[in-house]
Amino acid sequence: MDAALLEQMLLGALLALSVYLPLRCGQLSLATPGFYAVGGYVAALLSTGVPAFAGSGATSPLPALLAEMVLGGALAGLIALAIGGPVLRLRGIYLAIATIALVEILRVLNLNLPFTGGAMGIFGIPQPFAHAEGYVLFTLALLALACWLCQRLEALRLGRAMAAIRDDELAAACVGIDTPRTKLIAFVASAVLAGVTGALAAHFFNSWNARAGSFDASITTLAFVVFGGSRLWPGPVLGGLVLTALPELLRPVGDLRLILFGAVILLGPLFFPQGLVTAERLHWLAARLGRGRHRGRQAPQAP
Amino acid sequence: MDLLQILVNGLSVGAVYGLFALGYTLVFSVLGVINFAHGAVFTLGAYFTYLLIGGAVGANGLLAGFQLPFALPFWGALPLAGLGAALVALLVERVAFRPLRRRRADPLLALITSLGAGVILVNLIQLLVGAESYAIPTGALGGLPASFPLLGARVRTVQALLLGIAVLLLALLTLWLEGSRNGKGLQAVAEDAETAQLLGIDSAAMVRLAFGLSGFLAGVAGGLVGLSVSIAGPYFGIGYGLKGLAVLVLGGLGSVPGAVLGGLIVGLAEAFVPADWSGYKDAVSYGFLFLVLLLRPRGLLGRPLPTKV
Repeated sequence: MDAALLEQMLLGALLALSVYLPLRCGQLSLATPGFYAVGGYVAALLSTGVPAFAGSGATSPLPALLAEMVLGGALAGLIALAIGGPVLRLRGIYLAIATIALVEILRVLNLNLPFTGGAMGIFGIPQPFAHAEGYVLFTLALLALACWLCQRLEALRLGRAMAAIRDDELAAACVGIDTPRTKLIAFVASAVLAGVTGALAAHFFNSWNARAGSFDASITTLAFVVFGGSRLWPGPVLGGLVLTALPELLRPVGDLRLILFGAVILLGPLFFPQGLVTAERLHWLAARLGRGRHRGRQAPQAP
Repeated sequence: MDLLQILVNGLSVGAVYGLFALGYTLVFSVLGVINFAHGAVFTLGAYFTYLLIGGAVGANGLLAGFQLPFALPFWGALPLAGLGAALVALLVERVAFRPLRRRRADPLLALITSLGAGVILVNLIQLLVGAESYAIPTGALGGLPASFPLLGARVRTVQALLLGIAVLLLALLTLWLEGSRNGKGLQAVAEDAETAQLLGIDSAAMVRLAFGLSGFLAGVAGGLVGLSVSIAGPYFGIGYGLKGLAVLVLGGLGSVPGAVLGGLIVGLAEAFVPADWSGYKDAVSYGFLFLVLLLRPRGLLGRPLPTKV
């Protein structure tokens, strides 16, 4: 597998985690690609227009990349903070449609604002890494950090409050959980993660345009989570990795590729309504692995 | 452009949005979910119309050069295309919705499965007839002139047709929903599927009916848009699909007159966007949608949202 595909898979996993965070407290938000696009534009504009970020020639310094990721995440987070209050009062399908509308509004702005390069977008974004392998290692570290934070969340009061809201929002409010604040935190965290990912992706793809944040992307990222499973963080990660790779792996079948991709999205939820990763399957896997290690200790292999 | 011209343009585009949203709303009212394959069904309706009036497939795709051995007038082709689209919508219901209902799975999963069905349909179209655009010749209308004067403005015949057919279909649908046995059955299922079933209404049949009707409306809308602005390729239904979603919420989820009112409002609002700002036209409907969701989440004509405990 080549490094460029691996990098796209890792970016897919990060976006899937961004969709997973609001879902973790029961909020179906499809806004992730909008925030992803915003983060990408921040990085693209800074690194092509501001000398301090641009570095020399086609390369850009690593600290500049980190600063862009922070700024891209911050802008996405600020937008989420500004609209989150009223938008998160909506429930279920209404919230989903409102976030689709947000993505479309951001897309139209990105297409038409005077400084975002119109339909062509922004070109020649400098590279902080000489090879795709550099991106892969960096993104792997970012993904590991995101996964660790998600795992950490399970033990925190905030994570438990989110789970309580997912299971029953009214009951959660009755036991004293500040539900608007908890939902807002999840929404903003999702936006920040998407913005950070966008800033990194803009460098990796070398150019950035409004197609990064479209309705198609909303549904694709949602499919990551539904396919992988929305209850536990390994689910979206697996979904993001597999479904990003799938269209590329299906390339040999040529024109049938996207039809098969559609079939996977159609059949996945029918056969795995909970997604691929569920608590039972993880336990089963852990038991298998544990047994294997145990047996290995009892009968050490001869050299 | 004077005011009347803008009004006519806006109303005719709005009529298409309304027809589109009507299909969404029928399915939403009985199942409580959005059918994301609706845009693809609309697209198919346009291609069916093109083929039925005797249009030939272009050089790309597996069906290159294919042409039906007969050519119907537009009036015959449009309802047939609607029927074809209705059959496809029933197929979508069969593969993407019914299995989920039978397993009592989370209804939100239907967002994904229907989208999968839509992706399959759109790419199937591309595989069969290629990605090029097709134009339905206005000559298909027979002896009708391409445009006629009205109070000093020039109105394209197609625009008048779009508006007229949308209003006609809305009137028929409302009469049918309120006056016929099946229409009342559909309303009963929309209210509460389980109770309706207990009262002897075949809920599954009503769901099929909703999908069939929604497919028919989408197919007719597709054919009309194909005639009005040409078929821009297999993906051209997606933009309408998203606008239809905005219209749907604007009018009120599940409200039939709301869908049409929402469509006309969005169409008019877009028509009044000045030419210098035309790039922002697509954002108008979503801006409206946002405002309405925040100020009046049930939509203009929707019923109050129940709070279930």
